[in-house]
Amino acid sequence: MDFSKILTFVPYFLPAAWMTLKITTMGILIGLMIGFPMAFGRLSKRRFLSLPSKGYIALIRGTPLLLQLFVVYYGLVRLVALDPLPSAALALGVHNGAYIAEIIRGAIQSINRGQMEAARSLGMTHMQAMSRVIIPQALLRALPPLGNQFIIALKDSSLASTVTVRELVLTSRQLASSNFMMMEMLAIAAVFYLILTGLLTLLVNHLEVKMSVSRA
Amino acid sequence: MTMIKIRNLYKSFGHLEVLKGLDLDVDEGEVVVIIGASGSGKSTLLRCINFLEESDSGEIWVEEKLVHHTGSDINAVRQEVGMVFQHFNLFPHMTVLENVIEGPVQVKKVPRKKAVIQAHGLLEKVGLSDKARSYPSSLSGGQKQRVAIARALAMEPKVMLFDEPTSALDPELVGEVLLVMEELAKEGMTMIVVTHEMWFAREAADRVIFMDEGVFLESGTPDKIFTEPEEERTKEFLSKILASPNT
Repeated sequence: MDFSKILTFVPYFLPAAWMTLKITTMGILIGLMIGFPMAFGRLSKRRFLSLPSKGYIALIRGTPLLLQLFVVYYGLVRLVALDPLPSAALALGVHNGAYIAEIIRGAIQSINRGQMEAARSLGMTHMQAMSRVIIPQALLRALPPLGNQFIIALKDSSLASTVTVRELVLTSRQLASSNFMMMEMLAIAAVFYLILTGLLTLLVNHLEVKMSVSRA
Repeated sequence: MTMIKIRNLYKSFGHLEVLKGLDLDVDEGEVVVIIGASGSGKSTLLRCINFLEESDSGEIWVEEKLVHHTGSDINAVRQEVGMVFQHFNLFPHMTVLENVIEGPVQVKKVPRKKAVIQAHGLLEKVGLSDKARSYPSSLSGGQKQRVAIARALAMEPKVMLFDEPTSALDPELVGEVLLVMEELAKEGMTMIVVTHEMWFAREAADRVIFMDEGVFLESGTPDKIFTEPEEERTKEFLSKILASPNT
């Protein structure tokens, strides 16, 4: 096996890695935008807020991401014909929203009840107590599981290859079909994933240190 | 003036009736200490006065104004009624100073600068001027509780409620907190204190109430309660408490 020959294919992967990063970032951002309101909905005592949240979370967690992606890309065609990239980003975002909602909800519930009581006893409204006291603490606690979820999202973005998004996996398969070096192309894709997940881990760790610097 | 007036207060948790029709009047500047075994309803009473628990029935007046169970009424009353908790409940993501100014700045919309000056004064009062920039995690239990007192005082409340403020402290740290409370009592703060520290009750209380199974069984001056209690249950309780090595 000629290693230098394999290396000549690496540049073809750069736009693919960029595409993977793009789907992931969009998916995570959409996921966060859905996840936060869903977490609060789920925590609400009002049923008209909590029931839709519970339903959404149950539906998303109970069905595979691949199916959800197909629903968005093929299923919605009669409603809106989305391009492959927006379809993948939307499916990944809606999927991750459910998991992020559960992470945020868990983090909020893990904050000692006394914190809410102390804030309220100063005369704060429920909203003030949430935004000033509970959520800042909950976010710090949510960071490790969120980082974990982001890494899962990054890897799940590979499913976008099934709807013709030219991210890492699809690119490696397409290259292999013309150069017949399947193992090598998959290996290059794997290295790119490792680099991306590594960078994401570093970023989350950095955030964690920065946010908790105030506390021993 | 009657600062706190309670009439016919009832509270149950499920089938367990915790408060069985309590009446209480606390005058301005009065220090009332409530004693009694755990489970007698002392903490629940305090939490009802601050509306952390919703009473089932009965009326609570603060400064001769009947408090209704609506959000605006409750938030307003809580500004007048400071609360100190057994487990301090300081905000761990804020410095000591930020903890103290949080209420005035967020709730009363006091300008930050003014709140900071006031907070430094309060921290000096509780003997923690040098800790303003520290985070709660670096403080001892006694220091935490003194910060919690300063935080409550920053709202300039008319009444202070203390819910077993020294129960979670190591014995050697109890004194520093009680001294701050005693100082506060001398300054004329209206206080309702739930505690097992009989020393504090003797030194600082105007009135001691013995609570048993959801009712006020007996009340009077510290002298009367401690030296000539009338009820058998009071005698029993006091002999147990006073015999324990912690008091």
